[in-house]
Amino acid sequence: MTNPAAGVGHPEETESGLNPSEKGRRKFLVAAGWSLVGATMAGSAYATYKFLFPPILYEPPTVFKIGHVSTYGLGIDERWKLKGRFWVVRNMRGIYNMISICRHLGCTPNWFPDQKRFRCPCHGSIYDAHGNVRGGPAPRTLWRGQITRDPLDGELIVNTVIRLDPDPVQTPQGLWVKEKVKEISPFYIGHAAPPGASCASNRLLC
Amino acid sequence: MLQKLKNGIVDSQIFKSIFRHGYPDNDLDRAYAIFSNVFLHIHPVKVRRSALRMRYTFCLGGITLLLFIILSVTGIWLMFYYTPYTGLAYRNIKDLQFVIFGGNLMRDLHRFAAHGMVLFVWLHMTRVFLTGAYKAPREFNWIVGVVLLVNTLVLSWTGYLLPWDQLAYWAVTVGAKMASYTPFLGQNGPWGPQLGFLPTNDIMFMLLGGTVVGQNALIRFYVLHCVVLPLVVTVFLAVHFWRIRKDGFSGPL
Repeated sequence: MTNPAAGVGHPEETESGLNPSEKGRRKFLVAAGWSLVGATMAGSAYATYKFLFPPILYEPPTVFKIGHVSTYGLGIDERWKLKGRFWVVRNMRGIYNMISICRHLGCTPNWFPDQKRFRCPCHGSIYDAHGNVRGGPAPRTLWRGQITRDPLDGELIVNTVIRLDPDPVQTPQGLWVKEKVKEISPFYIGHAAPPGASCASNRLLC
Repeated sequence: MLQKLKNGIVDSQIFKSIFRHGYPDNDLDRAYAIFSNVFLHIHPVKVRRSALRMRYTFCLGGITLLLFIILSVTGIWLMFYYTPYTGLAYRNIKDLQFVIFGGNLMRDLHRFAAHGMVLFVWLHMTRVFLTGAYKAPREFNWIVGVVLLVNTLVLSWTGYLLPWDQLAYWAVTVGAKMASYTPFLGQNGPWGPQLGFLPTNDIMFMLLGGTVVGQNALIRFYVLHCVVLPLVVTVFLAVHFWRIRKDGFSGPL
C-alpha cells in the first residue's frame, strides 16, 4: 500500500502491473477528460465567433420596397438613387435595377438621358443602359441588385447587398455581358411592356 | 548626522520589509538591488563596458520600448476625455486639441510617438536583419518580433479610426475592404463567395461589426486599440526581452 496509484481493494497491484481492466478504465477516463476539455474549448471558440457577429445592425437600409412595376416607365429611373443608391431600369421585357456604384473606384455615376450613357464624374468611366462598360477605366460592368416581388401586395423589393456580377468579355465596344446572362431570377422580373411603349427612344431597351 | 539618518532608514523594519537587502554600497547588495526588484530584474546585474557601446544596436529596440511606454501613458490621458461614440468622438478630439489644458500636447505626443514607434520598429528590424541577429538559434525571437511588428501596425490602424474624421473613416473603409479580399474568408476574395461568404458574414463584417464603418466599428476599434492589442504587445514584449536575456548572445545586455 505504499503506491497511492494502486486501488485500495487491490493491494497486490503496482503502477507498472495494473490489471487490464484497470488500464482500460484509466485510458477511458483520460480520453473522457480530454474530450470534455476539447468540447469546452470548441464551444468557447464557437461562442466567441458568434459573439463577434452582431445579429442586429443599426445601419442605413439595404432592402427597399419600391412600389409596383406599373409606376415605372420605360428606361432609367433615378428616383431611388439618393435614398438607395440604385437605378430602376424597365425595358420591353421586364424590370431590373443597377447599383449606382462605379466599378472603378466606387463613385456614383450620373445618367445622361441625351447620351443614353452613365458617366462617372471621378475618372470618366462610361456605361450604357445595360451597365456594360463603354469607356473609361472601369474593370467590370455595373452590379445588378436582387429584385423580387412581395408575395402579399405584389410590390417590388430591391436588395442592394445581393448582387449579380458576371465576368465580362472584351469587345470592340467595351466590356460586355450578354443580357441573357443578366436577365435571370432573382435579378430580373419579366413584365409586359407599358401600354403604347416603343423602344424607338433607346434601342438598348428592346 | 546625515549618516545617522541614513543608517536609521536603512536599518528600519520598513526599509528591510520593502527591499530585503542592505544599502547597495557593496557588490553583493548592488546585485541584490537589481535582481530582487521586479522593475529592475529585467536588467542584468552587471553590464560590461562593451554592452554600453551604441554603435552595434543603436538602442533601436530600447527607443521602441520607450515610445511604447510614452504611447501607453499619453493614451491613458486621452482616454479621460474620449468617448467612442460616433456623435461625440470627433468633438472630443476637437476639445482635446483646443480646449482642454495639455490635451493637444498629449494628442501630439501620442500621434508622433505612434509614427515614431512604427519607424523605430522598422529600423530595429532592419538592424537585426543586417547584423544577422535573426539567425538560428534566435529564430524564435525574430518571430516574436514579427508578431510585435504586426501588432504595432494594427495598433496604428485601429488608432487611426478613433478621431472619426474623413481621413479616419476612409482609411478604415479602404483597409476593411482589403480584408474583404482575403482568400477563403472574404466576400470578394478568391473562393470566398464559393464558400458562402456574404457582406453579412465574412471577415470584414467580423472586423467592423457591420457592413459599413459605423458605431460598431468605432467601439470595436476602440477596445482593440486601448485594451486588447496593448495587452498582447505587453505579453509578447515580455517574451521578447526574456529571450534576449536568457539566450545571452548579446552578452549581459
